[in-house]
Amino acid sequence: MIHPETALKVQACLDGELPPAEARRVAGWLDQDPELRLLGEELRGTKALLVGNEPEFSVPESREFYWSKIARELQPTSSLEMAPGPSRLGWWLRVAVPLGSTLVLAAVLLLRSGPGAFGSRYLATGHEIETPLEEMASITFRSESARMTVVWVDTSMN
Amino acid sequence: MSHRIDYAKAADDALVRESQSGDMEAFEELVARHRDKIYGRAYTILRNEDDALDVSQEAWVKIWQRLAQFKGDSSFATWITRIAINLCLDHLRKQKRLQAESIEQMEDGLGGVERQLPTVMVNPTERLERRELRQRIDQALAQMTVEHRTALVLHEFEDLEYKEIAQRMGCSLGTVMSRLFYARRKLAVLLAGLKREEAR
Repeated sequence: MIHPETALKVQACLDGELPPAEARRVAGWLDQDPELRLLGEELRGTKALLVGNEPEFSVPESREFYWSKIARELQPTSSLEMAPGPSRLGWWLRVAVPLGSTLVLAAVLLLRSGPGAFGSRYLATGHEIETPLEEMASITFRSESARMTVVWVDTSMN
Repeated sequence: MSHRIDYAKAADDALVRESQSGDMEAFEELVARHRDKIYGRAYTILRNEDDALDVSQEAWVKIWQRLAQFKGDSSFATWITRIAINLCLDHLRKQKRLQAESIEQMEDGLGGVERQLPTVMVNPTERLERRELRQRIDQALAQMTVEHRTALVLHEFEDLEYKEIAQRMGCSLGTVMSRLFYARRKLAVLLAGLKREEAR
């Protein structure tokens, strides 16, 4: 009967886990003891059998379905940890809205200060300037194309 | 400068770099390439299809979160497999299926039925297709306890040393040696038994 510690030493020797001096000692045992030698051959045979013969398995789900579950988990993470830069639409809106408003106001001021500014009710197709009562000192500008209405109140006249 | 890469044709390294910069399409391609390996490793250890699916998908989420830590010291495949194995071991611990063996159990393992059996010379490669041999190894692994199977998988398929297996499994070096010995003897006996059954 092989002693358990001796059996484990033989195994460790075959796995290359022993320091050189101890490995030489175990190799000596294997040379002298036929029972140990048989055990060593069995362990070596089992080890060799597994090399390159690992059982293979395939995911029992389609690529899309498998990924969809991962992607769902990644969504909050990715927006926090790997957040992409601001969207192009957001950037456009942040620039375009103030710029557009400024241009509209500038146009209103220009029309007000120009000759016959209040004499013409319709300036162009879709653009309308309305002054209901001149003494109220307010101007309403409506642009259909921009879908925007600007009311200009002149407080300096009061 | 914008650039598009052909994900299907790109090498793993390129896909990893793209993924590290937040490209989720590149990461999806990596998942598609390696999902069987990750799932297979989880299934080999856990032996349960649902658990293996859950753990493998959890592993991919962890991999995405830790991508910045991957420096290429090992192959991407090795790196992701180690993450999956750690999650499998955590899963087993939560289920209390992975327990440190008591000294008595260790002695049972070494002094029990397997140790008393005569040594068997297994050579099932004779007249066996590789696919068939893999099936037999799988059948034998399924009959082992989770501790013995995991020790064998980590040593033989992951090439981990005793010390590293002990750290990952949370047990002593002696326990790793005992589990490996028991697993190998059991594997030899089971494969020899399967061969005898076939011969009848």
